[in-house]
Amino acid sequence: MKTILNQEKFQQLLIRWVLVVLPTVLIGYVTLRLVSFSYTSLNTGIISQTVYFTLGITLAYTLYYYGARLAITIVLVWFVYWLFEKAINQLPGEFDVLYANARFLLFSTLFIFGWAFGFLLARIKWSYIIIAALFSVVTLVAISDTIDISLGYILLHLFPAVLYGLYMLFLAPVLDVDIDLSWAKALKLVGRLAAFMILILLAFVITDSLLKGEVKAVEKELAARGAKGKDGSGKKDKDNYDERNGLMERGKGGKGDDGYRLKDTMRVNSKMSQSDKLMFCSKLDNFFPDGEPIPLYFVYHYLTRYDPVKESFTRDVNIPSFDEIEADPTHLPMYYSFTDTSIVRKSLATKFRKIVEAQVYLSENTWKHSVLGPSSVFSIQTIPVEKDFQKTFLSAYKIYAYASELNNAYFVYNISASPMLEPLQDQRHDELRTVRNYRGTDRAVFEYYTQMPTGGIYDSIAQLAQKLAPKDATPVDKVLAVRDYFLQRNENGKRVFRYTLKAGAVDDPNIPSSKMLYDFLFKTHAGYCTYYAGASHFMLRALGIPTRFTTGFATVNRSDKNKGWYWFYASQAHAWTQVYFPGYGWLDFDMTIGNEDQRSAPKPDGTPPLPPPEPWLVLNAKAESVDAEAKKLDAAFRELIYFNNPHQLNKTFTKNVDASLCRVLYHERDTTLAALKPGDSVIIVSYKDEAKKIPQPRAGVAIELQIENFPSPIVADEIHIRAKKKEEKPRNEKGRSAQQQEKKMTWQEMAWMAGKVLVGLLLVILLLPLLYLFYRLVQIALAKDVSAKADHVYRASLYRFHMAGFERETETPLEYAEKTIDPNLHVGFADFMRMYLRLKYSNGVVREGDADTLHQFANKVAASVRAKKGVLKTILNYFNIMRASRYFQTPISSEPETKTL
Amino acid sequence: MTDSIKKLKSLTENIETIIRGKPQQVKYVVTALLAKGHILLEDNPGAGKTVLAKTLAQSISEGVVDFHQAGGGVAFKRIQFTPDLLPMDLIGSYIFDDVKKDFVFKKGPLFTHVLLADEINRASPKVQSALLECMAENQISVGETTFPLDQFFFTIATQNPIEMEGTYPLPAAQLDRFYMKISFGYVTEEVEFDIYTNYLKIGDMKNTVKQVLTYHDIIQLQKEAENVYVHPEIVKAIVRLVQATRNHTEIALGCSTRGGITFIKCLKAWALVNQRDYVIEDDVRALAQPVLHHRMVFRNREASKTALQQIVDAEVNKLAKLGIGMKK
Repeated sequence: MKTILNQEKFQQLLIRWVLVVLPTVLIGYVTLRLVSFSYTSLNTGIISQTVYFTLGITLAYTLYYYGARLAITIVLVWFVYWLFEKAINQLPGEFDVLYANARFLLFSTLFIFGWAFGFLLARIKWSYIIIAALFSVVTLVAISDTIDISLGYILLHLFPAVLYGLYMLFLAPVLDVDIDLSWAKALKLVGRLAAFMILILLAFVITDSLLKGEVKAVEKELAARGAKGKDGSGKKDKDNYDERNGLMERGKGGKGDDGYRLKDTMRVNSKMSQSDKLMFCSKLDNFFPDGEPIPLYFVYHYLTRYDPVKESFTRDVNIPSFDEIEADPTHLPMYYSFTDTSIVRKSLATKFRKIVEAQVYLSENTWKHSVLGPSSVFSIQTIPVEKDFQKTFLSAYKIYAYASELNNAYFVYNISASPMLEPLQDQRHDELRTVRNYRGTDRAVFEYYTQMPTGGIYDSIAQLAQKLAPKDATPVDKVLAVRDYFLQRNENGKRVFRYTLKAGAVDDPNIPSSKMLYDFLFKTHAGYCTYYAGASHFMLRALGIPTRFTTGFATVNRSDKNKGWYWFYASQAHAWTQVYFPGYGWLDFDMTIGNEDQRSAPKPDGTPPLPPPEPWLVLNAKAESVDAEAKKLDAAFRELIYFNNPHQLNKTFTKNVDASLCRVLYHERDTTLAALKPGDSVIIVSYKDEAKKIPQPRAGVAIELQIENFPSPIVADEIHIRAKKKEEKPRNEKGRSAQQQEKKMTWQEMAWMAGKVLVGLLLVILLLPLLYLFYRLVQIALAKDVSAKADHVYRASLYRFHMAGFERETETPLEYAEKTIDPNLHVGFADFMRMYLRLKYSNGVVREGDADTLHQFANKVAASVRAKKGVLKTILNYFNIMRASRYFQTPISSEPETKTL
Repeated sequence: MTDSIKKLKSLTENIETIIRGKPQQVKYVVTALLAKGHILLEDNPGAGKTVLAKTLAQSISEGVVDFHQAGGGVAFKRIQFTPDLLPMDLIGSYIFDDVKKDFVFKKGPLFTHVLLADEINRASPKVQSALLECMAENQISVGETTFPLDQFFFTIATQNPIEMEGTYPLPAAQLDRFYMKISFGYVTEEVEFDIYTNYLKIGDMKNTVKQVLTYHDIIQLQKEAENVYVHPEIVKAIVRLVQATRNHTEIALGCSTRGGITFIKCLKAWALVNQRDYVIEDDVRALAQPVLHHRMVFRNREASKTALQQIVDAEVNKLAKLGIGMKK
């Protein structure tokens, strides 16, 4: 008897596993996947994460089911922990303690979370609300850093959590009682569940399609910010590019036109790209007096902060004296420029400083939303790409940067690459030896750039570094000591450190990266640029030298034909170290050892694009009337750039423009003047040309007066039609604040969109009570015999009375009829109820008068409710969701503890 | 069916001429009678307990008759319980007969059809148990002889709330013997006004309550009550209800199986009293308190008020949600 009972109980447990635990695990898997996608530190295998989570949830649920409550479960968890701890301490040699610990930490966290969820699910009826909410919040946080957020994106990602919540809401009442195992009932349950799911899906689809139009504007706005939102982010790249560990990642747009960018966050084991795709090319106006070009490393980002939890280098906010320009080139209209003069102040350099101009042409492979350039770029101006090169290069900009004369690539290249550089570099180091120490440096800067985590691996790195250089050595000597450490040779004359893209046995994405650094420095001695940069970063900081981890592209000078032109391929993506010297600013030091075994064949040199002609006039105008035949148009403008000086006009001017010889571009693609419609925003460019009569700017004369002297018509050389979107601010006086404002806008938009979604869902929910009424009425109409009809009339009228405001509480329907309904509505509900109860409980046959009673009552219901409450109120009552939900609830939550669950 | 309805109607109406404003309580008493059970009335003194019992008895009896020779009517006896009452005062005793030169049994007041045991909790437990034995077994054992009681033996016991001084509260096991325990409560303002204005008339009527039913009528009605149809779903609901009382955290002692059987018997009788030959969900709700509440022991005062009602409401609501043919 007992075993049978247990068997039944076990069957119930099995059913609950399938109905409750499995969906929770699934939703957990989906969320974990998303989170793992966003936070690389979780890269320890989604399957094993889910397994641990599942283990926790199932164990907790099962234990609770068999009567184990809080105390027992805590003791059990503690016991498991103790066992694990013991096991780790017993086997220190076998697998690394730290490695095991880090994994253990993650998995035990997941396990505990699973445990808590399992316990909650078993213990508290409505705990699924907490869990669903938690999953939604985690999902929202995980996707919130996506730039290209869109309604579809949010909906798509929130869908699982919401679905789960609604599913559990639907399921919760069923779980109260033992679930019948018969096939018919199981099938019915499955059918209902499926129908319910379809309903929710439908609701989502409807919401999506209903709001699509309204959201389009927002999406466009977002698209204008540089990324089109489509849910393609999950797709694996076709080029076998390992995005998790690569230095570069695909822009999240997924549309393909945003290209690769270097990651904002980088772990030590981030791999060099092996691809030989052309990323960009650049003309760098930096020459020795004898005309030999001076290459400079191109910086993408400074990763100033090291996150010891995620074990990765990341960008930071609130950095003292940060000299990275924050501008999105795609935001700047053609020929417009953005200058952040504060960079000059922030660059902290006074000696050997010069201004370098560079043109950067971005290929389709390159991320085009941030500025690439030699360190300390302070100004950027967008320029067009010459027509013949538009296939190769999508966009281009001109930059101005403060560069140190001590910072050219010849100085920076590690001498292992070419020993001939040694004497050249010594000059630089001699100069830098004048810096004796960091006394007098701004404390905030010094402390920010020398902080590093302590303990374990970091301490052993620090000890290693302190052994390398005497305490009183000059900073540059310390730097060189670290560099020489990497260059040391063993007794056989072989290099101790090697360059390899396959960093040996530790090439396992599951292993935390501090461990990899440790292995690199003390065991394998083999790695690629991030290893060298990461290790030297910590060693230098341990020696008290301000250092930052820099990502970008190593510059290789191989263009003899076109001096000053440099080509950058994906394989040149690089990471190195920048060291701060007071007075000299941030100087590059590349510690990475050259690959002695293998030298890649020189990449082909491209043909440099022609530099764009210098414009004398750029008008940011609105086309007023367009004559495509005569190739003339009228342009109204309030902004212009006149000999590179931007001006805001105090009134709108309208000028005739001759477009007969000009290029018309839309989205940086050539088109014809026919594409230009009146009302379009256009940028009209006119080149400096000997043949044109160009009015020279006169100092001290108001720009409005000078415009009067402009030739009419103005001969245009380029007309850029701007995609119809909200007017962008042409000039950002303060890049950072403008960007913040934009970001704020996005949040508002996001909130707005979320609101819309909510309203849509609410509308659907709001209509549900009415739909239920129709369902009931249809059932009445379809009923075959009197008893079936009576049944449906009974349910429908109970519902209608409830929705009319007469709520039945604990009384039986008959009492309700006698005491509440009939005194108020006079519909003869009690008579009907008596007949109904007789049919229901006496197994009785339908008597003669029954059909009449039924019809009389059924016909009176609607009229009497209307008479009592008024037509409008009767209808409005059906939108009272709270009331409707009360109808479907059991009036009182009795027997809270009677069931096993 | 219509015949018995008429009879029941006349019985209740007859009682209600005296007992004003308490139709529910009158019905309960009649239900206990038809279910072949016994009833315990509990309330403060002066609520009309005794009058109700007496009126019921008078409605079906012809005054004091020897119940073995009962022709048309039934015998009615009343015992006022006091602390010094002895069991033999109830069941009778052997008395030496001078003529027969032998001990003869002199039957006590228990040998009757309708017994009014007034203020049962004033008697000592010894006396209470003597009464309860014959209520349960329908027989009286004295020495070696066992005297059967008539198949129609109906006890109406009254008691004052146990907080009152000088009482011996009935143990739970003995309370179980009573099919129902009801309390009276005070009447409404209008009824009270009616009683005060007509108290003379009512007082007169009390002594002249006419007999409306006979002994055979009662036996017939009891048989009919047993034939009332109880739908299997209602039986299932009662099973769930009884089980729930046993598993409830606030209830120390749940309902016994005997309690469940009694509940079904009472439901049938109640349905008949309400002029139906089938039991409906309302009956379950109406009878749960009087039939089940006194059988249980609650952990605290709060639970005593709410726990059972919650369980019953939940079960009744489940029943109400079923359709004809018991479809969900």
